Amino acid sequence: MSINQVNMHIGNKDNVMKKNINIYGSKNPSTVLAALLFFVTTLLVSSFALAAVHTISLTAETLPNGQLAYATTGNEAVIPGPAIFVKEGDTLNVTLTNNTSAQVGFTIPGLPLPSSAKVQPGSTKSYTVNTNVAGTYVYHGGDKALIGLFGALIIDKATGPVDSYVNDDGAITPVMQADLVKQYVLFMVGSTFWGTEIAADGIQKPLWANPNLGAVENDLVRFHILSVWPGHTFHLHAHRWLKHGTTTVIDTKLLADGSDSHSFTIKAGSGVGTGSWQYHCHLFSHMEAGMHGSFRVDPVGGDGASVVGASPYGRILLGPKDEPGLVTFEVTDEPASWFRSTRGDAIVGLGLDIKSKSLEVMSPGSSVNFVMSETNAVHTISTLLWPSGAQHMPFDQTNAYRGGAIVKLDTPGLYVFTCKIHPYMFGAIIVDDPETEGLDLGNPANEYRIDLVTGIKNLPTSSDLAVRLLRTFFVATSPSNWQDYSSGLWNVRFPTIPVRISGAPFGNIQAGGLAAPLTILNVVDATLPAPVPPSKFGVGEVLVNTQFEKTAGKTKPGTITIVDATNWTVKRKIALPGINMNNPHNMWVSRDQSVLYQTQWFDNKLTMINRETGALIKNIQVGYAPSHVMTLPGTDDITVANNGEDGIAIIPAGSMEVSKIMPTQAQGHTSAGPHGHWISADGTKIITPNIITGDIGIYAADGSNTHARTTTGLGAPGAHPIAIGMMPDSSKVFATNLLHHSLSVLDGTTGALLQTISLIANYNPIDGTIADNGEGPYGILPIQTPVSPDGKAVVIAATGGQILIVKPGVSDADAAIVTKLDCDPGCHGVNFGAKQNGGYYAYVTSKFSNRLTIVDPDPDNNGDLSDAAIVGYVSLVATEGTAKDDTISSLPGFGGNGVLAVPNVYNGWVQNLPDTWKAGLTDAQKNPIGH
Amino acid sequence: MQYPLSHSPYGKYSRASNATYPSYGSWLNQLAVALALICVMSLLLTGKSNAATHIIEMTTKEIQDDGFGSKLMAYQMKSHTIDGTPVTDRYSTEATIPGPTIVLTEGDTVELTLFNEITNDHSVNGISKQVSVHVHGVHYELVSDGTLKVINKIHDEGAGHGPEEYHATYVYKWTIAPGTAGTWPYHDHNFESHNGSENKGLFGAVIVNPAGSPGFDKEYVLYLGDDAFWGMEIDGTSKQQSKHGVNPSLEAKKNSDVRFHLIAMGTDIHTFMLNGYQWFDPGTNILINKAAIGPLEKHVFTVKAKHDSHYVDKDFSNQLMGMKGTFNVH
Repeated sequence: MSINQVNMHIGNKDNVMKKNINIYGSKNPSTVLAALLFFVTTLLVSSFALAAVHTISLTAETLPNGQLAYATTGNEAVIPGPAIFVKEGDTLNVTLTNNTSAQVGFTIPGLPLPSSAKVQPGSTKSYTVNTNVAGTYVYHGGDKALIGLFGALIIDKATGPVDSYVNDDGAITPVMQADLVKQYVLFMVGSTFWGTEIAADGIQKPLWANPNLGAVENDLVRFHILSVWPGHTFHLHAHRWLKHGTTTVIDTKLLADGSDSHSFTIKAGSGVGTGSWQYHCHLFSHMEAGMHGSFRVDPVGGDGASVVGASPYGRILLGPKDEPGLVTFEVTDEPASWFRSTRGDAIVGLGLDIKSKSLEVMSPGSSVNFVMSETNAVHTISTLLWPSGAQHMPFDQTNAYRGGAIVKLDTPGLYVFTCKIHPYMFGAIIVDDPETEGLDLGNPANEYRIDLVTGIKNLPTSSDLAVRLLRTFFVATSPSNWQDYSSGLWNVRFPTIPVRISGAPFGNIQAGGLAAPLTILNVVDATLPAPVPPSKFGVGEVLVNTQFEKTAGKTKPGTITIVDATNWTVKRKIALPGINMNNPHNMWVSRDQSVLYQTQWFDNKLTMINRETGALIKNIQVGYAPSHVMTLPGTDDITVANNGEDGIAIIPAGSMEVSKIMPTQAQGHTSAGPHGHWISADGTKIITPNIITGDIGIYAADGSNTHARTTTGLGAPGAHPIAIGMMPDSSKVFATNLLHHSLSVLDGTTGALLQTISLIANYNPIDGTIADNGEGPYGILPIQTPVSPDGKAVVIAATGGQILIVKPGVSDADAAIVTKLDCDPGCHGVNFGAKQNGGYYAYVTSKFSNRLTIVDPDPDNNGDLSDAAIVGYVSLVATEGTAKDDTISSLPGFGGNGVLAVPNVYNGWVQNLPDTWKAGLTDAQKNPIGH
Repeated sequence: MQYPLSHSPYGKYSRASNATYPSYGSWLNQLAVALALICVMSLLLTGKSNAATHIIEMTTKEIQDDGFGSKLMAYQMKSHTIDGTPVTDRYSTEATIPGPTIVLTEGDTVELTLFNEITNDHSVNGISKQVSVHVHGVHYELVSDGTLKVINKIHDEGAGHGPEEYHATYVYKWTIAPGTAGTWPYHDHNFESHNGSENKGLFGAVIVNPAGSPGFDKEYVLYLGDDAFWGMEIDGTSKQQSKHGVNPSLEAKKNSDVRFHLIAMGTDIHTFMLNGYQWFDPGTNILINKAAIGPLEKHVFTVKAKHDSHYVDKDFSNQLMGMKGTFNVH
């Protein structure tokens, strides 16, 4: 500061002092009284004179991309909704007319409204807002807030400065409303910024998603940052501001979970100058998910204009305006529609036989937006396949998180997104060149080819593998394409709109590609025979996680189906509506078989259930996206893989809470994301398939050491090791690599990689021929891979629809595939149970059918697995006699994921069974490798 | 019109000057004005003469192999002079996580040259092999932003092969202007992608003190990562930096004044506690015993070391993973 400035500073202070002295400092009592009276009257008069009455009439509308948004009546609906500016003490009346087909509301966290009831479609409600406390508030529409019903209410003090900024010299300088060149409202929702620019004259301009904000150097600009649902931290490069309510200067601010706001003012380019300064959320996963934009400070004389981001009205299928567009997917826990377009219902209703709500179409240069709005889990939003040569691909995040994603897609072709944690979640976007006939499924500049995340490049979309992947997408995301064995018929419908692929199926490429509908792949009225169970019964029960079955008392899907193996009937269904049990995935039992442990994979809970009665014992928080659960055979301690995080949660036997989480990686290193772990029979080792880091981890069960981290999938990126099986003597570990279509065999002690067996060696991915006249065993997308308790067979469920029988190879002998059996779509889980009078069944589940497949790996019990066969099927649909704790409402018996036979006959556990359970077993079954 | 508040982020909320004056026009008032003028002038003069020039060279290396081939990365101080005087022996002679803490005073200027000893590989398929230093809080021009050209529109501002430019080393210039007092993170913004690899160990702290501010017996920099604290200790007298690493055991003399500098890094939002201690929420006169802190936010507080304690993160999973360290007072 110069000396003159210092003088002025002090001079001004004296003027204030003069005012104060006139009111407070005079020693004459009557003068004081008069002054006080004057002061109070002025205050009252000024409040009446300044207090305004605002009547804002809002409507809720549906946007062309299916999102919902507020509008001021008669105007275009915008996201964020119209920014409402009032002063403390003003009267604010809001009316809301709901022009959407969903219930919406108007609620302001922190300001209780006299009436916060929802507005039905077609109705109108009025709200009076209390404006007595200045601040920046979120207003939002309740349940549907995350898909666009949110806006800002700014209540400023009646008189005086609205904020302060940090000047070039560090002085905290107050700023009046009239000094502001412009204001920005920036909402942080999911992993997307939604913006509004408010000019000095109050005119509001929607900036849509991830806009580039503009200002001229030295402009005083006020930012209002707001958020709904998961928290964020807002950071702007090269600027700093006062944290309201303190004297602290910051440049990064937390917006807490729920809803939060943070307003601040800066002088653009103060002390740093002009340039494109990045603004972004500083949560690393959100940065990877695309949550950023630019704040461009122009030199004096420049226009400082903002650049609008991606708009729900722009260039998307049936979008009205010629501007960069935006499609939005909600991420949900709902079977099939885990990625659901906000206009998914409308797309299904277009009459083009699109049975999936997970498909969108837009023009090159538009963006796809995701928001994890209806899910309790953490996810990644990762590309599985994309047009060959597309920029910025693959799109991925290192770890699973809560939030969303946004990415601009420029190259025409098909993009399929999945979640690394829950890898059968699919969302697809076709970026279509509007000039050509047919929706482009590959890059037109590259013969309509696609690249896969595992490193396969330039795959023609007419290839057999590409067609299988398309079929997998359309079956997985459309329940009407699933196999309902209680109906007797199977239909698979593909959309009737023409698509552009590399050439005629299967394998041929023709110049310019081929435009034709995919309806040639339709399955029409295929017979589904009624399930016939095996003639030989099993021992005890088979518990199946029918993860997609829906019941009336819950919003979330999933039940436990208990099959009585002694008569092959469905004896019980456990839905647990009281806790809204969410996507039950995998199970284990306590030593005495009485307590059932159940993971909720789209949540963060392990549920303890009374196995015999189905009653809830306790619902325990463990960690995000718990996938598999097993006990340590020696201690009966419970181990749960926190698939969405970075460790194994340990619940000591007899307790009902997590005592510690064992990390699956060294501190600071990439989270492993363990999925389907196994435990050695002697209880000393926990072996995890680490999805995110692509390796198998072998850990001391007491947490004292990491023995091995062995990369699998021959170094292919995204190989996705997913499940573990172990020899009963712990000599070998088997691990399936989901996206690499291979089986890794490791040494059970050292973790050294012994073999990588390709499960597609006999399969030609281009023309689809299978070696050996179609008999050559093959398996596509392998998942669970347990070893029979006697160590004689490995049975693999491959979600492409195959069951593989593998000879494990004793001591130094190699493991080898023996034969393949057919499995239902979405083939997934396998576990072994005792057959009556000796031997074992492998019980196999499938996600997109509602029957259990029962395999005998060695029917004549002679050690030769080539006669392995499917010996029967059991329907998983409830009957009159099934005990239930809720009514089945839809998707009966579907979603077979985890499966567990009781009694648990695996070596290490079977020896600890109570005598009552041992009574039903043979000597060989009671001691599988020791007899 | 409001009083401009003195900017004092450390310790209590304070006002610029005493609010009670005798009536305007009296000779007492004129004397007060003159005195204030003299005080301010001398402050300015001392401020100017203390403003230092820092020349810093830092490099980046791979460290912390987890035993199975996966490595982290870290900054290492090569040399630091203040007005020509070397202070390099304050720092570890190895690359550390957190990186070297750079202590500055308002009014200083900094010229920082960054080296890349992680890789000389070319950037292939858009994957950047360039490391950078992006700093928060202090003044710098766009050319010192430490970001890739795709973000700043002008240059790949780091050392090594970026997607569009190669630089053997990169020089950043910072002005530690009045109003930038505080503790600020610096981190990579360029390695692998335009988001950088801050989450792999490439982060450190800059402490900017207002001119003439008091020292502390010990200062601790504690970064809250996604599964552990990464911290270090700074001796208030010798300025020596030590104890770099995971959940370090911090020490203090009984009844000494110590200052904690917390910065969060990664994706998690944390709840920090120093068991049994309370402190002033920075910039207020409100006592708190826990703080919510999210990635790249800072939270700086002072306490008198009274008793042994643990510093912890109360987040569900982090707590169960053992994210805590000891604070020993003797």
